[in-house]
Amino acid sequence: MRTSTILATEGLSRRFPRVTALDRLTVTVGPGVTGLVGANGAGKSTLIKILLGLLEPSEGRAQVLGMDSGSQGAEIRRAVGYMPEHDCLPPDVSATDFVVHMARMSGLPRTAARERAADTLRHVGLYEERYRPIGGYSTGMKQRVKLAQALVHDPKVVFLDEPTNGLDPQGRDDMLGLIRRIGSEFGISVLVTSHLLGELERVCDHVIVIDGGRLLRSSAISEFTQATQSVTVEVEEGPEALAARLAELGETVTPQGRALAVLVRGPETYDAVRDAVCDLELSLIRLEQGRQRIEDVFRGSAADMTEPATAPGLAATTVRGDS
Amino acid sequence: MTATPAPGPTGVIHDIGYRHYDGPLLGRRQAFGALTGYSLRGVFGLGRPARAKIMPFMLAVIMLMPAALGIAIMALAKETFVGYTGYAVQMQVVLAIFVAAQSPYLVAPDLRFRVLPLYLSRPVTVRDYVGAKLAALITAMFLLLAIPLTVMYAGELLIDLPGAPRTSDYLASVTTALIHAVVLACIGLAIASFTPRRGLGVAAVIAFFLLTAATSTVVAAVLYELGSAGAGWALLINPFHMVDAVQVWLFGTPSSFADIPYPDGIGGPAAALGVIALIALSLAALTARYRKAASA
Repeated sequence: MRTSTILATEGLSRRFPRVTALDRLTVTVGPGVTGLVGANGAGKSTLIKILLGLLEPSEGRAQVLGMDSGSQGAEIRRAVGYMPEHDCLPPDVSATDFVVHMARMSGLPRTAARERAADTLRHVGLYEERYRPIGGYSTGMKQRVKLAQALVHDPKVVFLDEPTNGLDPQGRDDMLGLIRRIGSEFGISVLVTSHLLGELERVCDHVIVIDGGRLLRSSAISEFTQATQSVTVEVEEGPEALAARLAELGETVTPQGRALAVLVRGPETYDAVRDAVCDLELSLIRLEQGRQRIEDVFRGSAADMTEPATAPGLAATTVRGDS
Repeated sequence: MTATPAPGPTGVIHDIGYRHYDGPLLGRRQAFGALTGYSLRGVFGLGRPARAKIMPFMLAVIMLMPAALGIAIMALAKETFVGYTGYAVQMQVVLAIFVAAQSPYLVAPDLRFRVLPLYLSRPVTVRDYVGAKLAALITAMFLLLAIPLTVMYAGELLIDLPGAPRTSDYLASVTTALIHAVVLACIGLAIASFTPRRGLGVAAVIAFFLLTAATSTVVAAVLYELGSAGAGWALLINPFHMVDAVQVWLFGTPSSFADIPYPDGIGGPAAALGVIALIALSLAALTARYRKAASA
């Protein structure tokens, strides 16, 4: 096992009376920002609970920072920060008091806890409002407080469970920017879960996709984006004409509802789209980088199974660093 | 005036970027202490909005009133009027309201707003968590009871009545105050922890104390009229009387319930056993409750 491994699982399974949350999951995660993608109920939160040593695996092992989650849970929890998916903030306390308290629960002495709490709240972007009770905060501000309590003791790794849940597009962008900064500027490794692959694409170095507790794919982000660089084009009227014209120009076009997804071959694809829209005198409504959705990965991996030779690094046990 | 050099910019905030923490990380014991202190402040509404302070401080002032009255009578009439050993039983309604109002505060929000997982994702264990909450409530109940007793004793020493001060009574009552605090805190927290809703918790705890007090008084009175020896035993249904009976047994103080005596002989040790059983039962309920809450 490489020394730079942040966490690793080996044949990890967790069965509940009714469902199997994790099914022989073997993954390795290195430093940086790692995305954990899966639909709701795919086993993301169960994996995090096992990694924190709060849940016993039915079989298999998990390690965080070289410590075994079964026997060294307390040491892991000392070195790790955790932001749960659900609400976890009392409404009648101010953000400052709450984060100071959580810092002390992680073992920081009183003065250090105060300093760290002030620093961390500033880093996550909470200023004057941090002295007011949390009950009056917006969802975005609450997510920041949740993030601050996970960072206040300067952990080596943070587990962020659905940090963009419930945020508006602006809030999402801010949160993703923060996650990027935690990974790069703060030097804290991040494991972030989401059911949207598209948004993780923007901040992660590496993405792990799980479904039904099983590993679907684990690879560097560049492989994901390479595979499906596409641009979504939406015009007011006449998408059929545009599709025909683009096909004529040699582009691969697939209709996506009212919009068209155009496979990007290179900069010339954008020129082709521009020229085609101008020539046909269409009103362009939207031109946007294609967002890969979780379903695309499922489709992609199903295709890979039929022609494994052409799939770049998609084998189920691919680990970070092989690429 | 001579020209002074222009003052440089003051109070500039520099963004110095993210700094890592390289100071010490304390152990679980310090976290336990911090959680106890935080919870104790919460019981009295300190660090909370003003309305959270009204109830605890109002009740604390009411608890002090008999002590103030006792001092006034000692000073003016030169006689002792308010006793130490019966203080808790006479003020049982106030104590019950306090424990009912404040124990849900300690446990319910963490369950309702799901703060518990944040504690458990840290080195703090479930046992630490429950222990710290109990320690905080025991301390609060003890202060609530011991401060009036101590104020009254200080008053008695200052007024310097003829005859020896009632030091042994005072010491017995303070020791019993600790037993009262442990019993009340355990019962209150155990009942309150079963619901994440504060209002329901308050109602459940107050219902417990009302029910035991009413049952104990009615049954004891009926049995007393019938001339049954069970009357004294029936008094022990009320936890306040149970602890009082332990005080009578341990320190030989007079019973706080003048009309019906506590059962003698085996009655004292039995009351002590009852107190221990009540504490054990509450702790078992708390443990079971939090084992379930932690895995949720």
